[in-house]
Amino acid sequence: MNPTGIWSSPALRWIAAGMVVFNGFFPAVWILFTSLKTEAELVQKPITWWPSNPMLDNYVKAFTDQPLLTYLKNSLVVACGATALSLVVAAFAAYAIARLNLKRRQLILTCIVASSMFPLVTLLVPIFETMRALGWLNTYIALILPYVVLNMPVCTLVLVSFFQSIPRDLENAAMIDGCTRMGALWRVVVPLAAPGVFTAGILAFVNSWDEFLLALSLNSSPAVRTLPVGIALYQGEFTFPWPIISAALIVAIVPVAILIALFQERVVGGLTQGGLKG
Amino acid sequence: MLSKLRDPSEKTLALLLLAPAFLLLLMIVVYPIGKLVYNSVYAVDKNGVFLGLQNYIDVVQDPLFWNATKNTLLITLVTVPGALIVGLGLALLANLPFKRKWPVRLSLLLPWALPLSFAGLIFAWFFHTEYGVVNDVLRRLGLQSEPTSWLLKPNWAMAAICLTVIWKTSSFMALILLAGLQMIPKSLYEAAEVDGASRWQQFWQITIPMLMPSIIVALIFRTITALQTFDIPYTMTRGGPGEATETLAMLIHKYTIDYSDISFGSTLAVFMFVISLFVTGFYLKQIGKNAQ
Amino acid sequence: MKKRDTLKWATLALASSLAVSAAWAQQTTLRVFVGPNQRPDLQAKLFEQYNKANPGVKVEIETGGATSELQRQYLSTVLNAKDSAIDLFLIDIVNPAQYASKGWIEPLDKYVGGAAVLKNDYLPVYQNANVIGGKLYAMPSQGDAMFMYYRKDLLTKHGVSEPKTWEELSAAAKKITAAEGNANLQGLSIQGAPIEGAVCTFLLPYWGQGKQFNDAGGKLTLDKAAAVKGLQSWLTMVDQGVIKKNVAEVTTPITVNEFKAGQAVFAINWGFAFDRFKDDADSTVKGKVGVMPLPAMTGGKSATCMGGWQWAMNAYGKNKDAAGKLIQFLSSKQASAFIAREGSILPVFQSVYSDAEVNKVVPWFKDALPVVLGAQSRPMVEDYGQVSDIIRTTTSAILARTKTPEAGVDEIAARVGRLMR
Repeated sequence: MNPTGIWSSPALRWIAAGMVVFNGFFPAVWILFTSLKTEAELVQKPITWWPSNPMLDNYVKAFTDQPLLTYLKNSLVVACGATALSLVVAAFAAYAIARLNLKRRQLILTCIVASSMFPLVTLLVPIFETMRALGWLNTYIALILPYVVLNMPVCTLVLVSFFQSIPRDLENAAMIDGCTRMGALWRVVVPLAAPGVFTAGILAFVNSWDEFLLALSLNSSPAVRTLPVGIALYQGEFTFPWPIISAALIVAIVPVAILIALFQERVVGGLTQGGLKG
Repeated sequence: MLSKLRDPSEKTLALLLLAPAFLLLLMIVVYPIGKLVYNSVYAVDKNGVFLGLQNYIDVVQDPLFWNATKNTLLITLVTVPGALIVGLGLALLANLPFKRKWPVRLSLLLPWALPLSFAGLIFAWFFHTEYGVVNDVLRRLGLQSEPTSWLLKPNWAMAAICLTVIWKTSSFMALILLAGLQMIPKSLYEAAEVDGASRWQQFWQITIPMLMPSIIVALIFRTITALQTFDIPYTMTRGGPGEATETLAMLIHKYTIDYSDISFGSTLAVFMFVISLFVTGFYLKQIGKNAQ
Repeated sequence: MKKRDTLKWATLALASSLAVSAAWAQQTTLRVFVGPNQRPDLQAKLFEQYNKANPGVKVEIETGGATSELQRQYLSTVLNAKDSAIDLFLIDIVNPAQYASKGWIEPLDKYVGGAAVLKNDYLPVYQNANVIGGKLYAMPSQGDAMFMYYRKDLLTKHGVSEPKTWEELSAAAKKITAAEGNANLQGLSIQGAPIEGAVCTFLLPYWGQGKQFNDAGGKLTLDKAAAVKGLQSWLTMVDQGVIKKNVAEVTTPITVNEFKAGQAVFAINWGFAFDRFKDDADSTVKGKVGVMPLPAMTGGKSATCMGGWQWAMNAYGKNKDAAGKLIQFLSSKQASAFIAREGSILPVFQSVYSDAEVNKVVPWFKDALPVVLGAQSRPMVEDYGQVSDIIRTTTSAILARTKTPEAGVDEIAARVGRLMR
């Protein structure tokens, strides 16, 4: 599909593939093994790789020490909501920037990207105050809206670059056929930019899934707490139960991994090959 | 009238399309940034005294600021190209015609699925002197008799941090580049084959140029995030040994949260913004050019 | 007819709404912020007792901030925004001065009584830790201190008595590790990572020489030579193989896990560790653990670091009177004895250490009392966050051998000196 020449020999390809798989899976596998060990086993010298007495106690503890399932649900709701909203907002903005003749296009783009140039920790207190004033603390929306803003620069820029690469003729053809501009956006441009859309979607999802600072400050109530904050609570002032935390991490990673496995075909799949020939 | 609503003029449409984005920006970011700049010139305590540029002068005279900036720029210079090269390699690999594509693609993105706050902790454990995998492997291979304290030596600690950052962010790069690879029409390669171009030539003359927009997008964000590197050094070394691996974002976090000196923290944030704008300004111009 | 009925209904409605609002007005809900590792389960039981005795008040727990750091992260955001949602929080013993200087916590004098209250059987260290500018800012709840744990069985086996000075401890450790011939057995485990505990690692040998870090006014009185000597003594122990080389990587949980696995003869750690050694399923040192005061430097005296948690009142809270009464209850002798019995938490009252009921559950508290009486508080200054950061980072760098003790102490003196004038 992509003859780059460097990987022509199958053996080389398998080695390289092996390295990639190792690179991606090794830490996850290590966490998995750790989640099956006891804390005492972690300080044995020399260290053990495979758990000597694999046990599921840590998973039980992970779920009973804290309402891990609730955190999982909250993270899913927030991440999905933020992703959907991010894509819509970013698609609108990206279309305007990529297609419409805007005089200050450069400035608009710079403004959007510039919003990500301030470290979040310095914006925390004002965002907290805003959410409190609106009465939205400890709700899903308190996190979804800031996450959309956090994702906006990346999603917009990705979509802009994808929209730009789609020739205008296709839209013009659609509009001659009676489509409005908005219709052309959703029926022609977005499907053709599908890899970009799914890319932006995955970017938005994982960023929202991972976010810690805002989730800690805005949604502190256990009922709406998200996973990263919840997992940070297994540790104590003087304790760091790696096995339990590892179990919780596996619980946190698995949904994302499944999501990626399901959608990677869409991201990479040849949906675009049709429209761009010739 | 109705037709205007159904197919509004370009200007109206532009306003409508950009409105949601800018409304959200206004609500979530503009007010905090305004407050941030305000806080950097007015003291944030009971007095609210006007400080003028005193904070800014203090920052420039603070050796810790320069140390943190140096560390941050070093991490940026190493991990941005590093992540790009590794990410490009991963993307090209993921694009190959394997029978089962999902293992390679999943392993591409798995580093990304791990919450950032824990990636650092896990790698710190990997590099631990006694309980870390790295030393264990080196011991088994007979390459060292005494375990190395990777995170206790300034240069090795920095290297370990850069490695972890590259590991974590190459997924992000690979994802963007992979999507970009999909948009390159096969016909270009077929034509080049006919013309007798070698695979290597095809790579440099078709793949890279066609991928350039995606590369730039990936670079912009990788650079901005590299300048804000916090979680990984914070969890791996706490900025240690001493302040050898302390980044600008860590310094800001320290002042804002640990010392509760919001005024000074805000000033540092303004400096970070200026540095970010300066560094990425070049890239942004490229995007603007492409838009024409 | 209709008018009278309407009047009746109106009166009834008015009366019932008055009753409801009166009841509602009397019902105060207090929200309390506790970390998940400060035994919210025990606190919940205390709140239940309080609720029963005070029907108009309902206490709700909010758990968050598992570590002092995460707590500070959360509270920093919330209190900088002047939030009134929380009424009370359980804060680390090192925090009152910092929080008070920011105006986050309310002086408790008019709710609990002035600083004199602390003279009443409380551990002496609190008179220093909780009183800032003459006003009382926090009430003790859970005590803690750093103890020297040791392997009773190994000391008996090799005929070594409890060391009273650091030299004696070094010698004892060397003798035992040499005789045992176990490569994994270390002499002494201390924390050298740049965590809060590293501040104690700096202060212990310094205090052990009878030196003070600051005067009553908060001014720095660092004796540089003594500080260098203290840090050098740690380094000498590393050179002699008593402490392991990568001590700058050791955190509190690592010390606990290593001692539990039988990999250390001596270990310095907080009070909670005793139960872990005694009760944990994977502990190999059950019944073999002794507790003693920290050794002194030759010619000095034994000193240890005071830890623990305190109740403070949100200055922006709306229910201060009710919160004040709750604090009184939570910092009472009964409360202290209750959590000592139920959770083996070190009491904040001297007499509770020898309370019969408590000793039935935790006999080792009798041995703990002399240690806790000699505990000192870390510098109670408004910039403690920064002071702590400077000390712990520099100490860790010294232990990692990237800075010499002299250079490190100079740096501490200069930077902390600017803050503590």
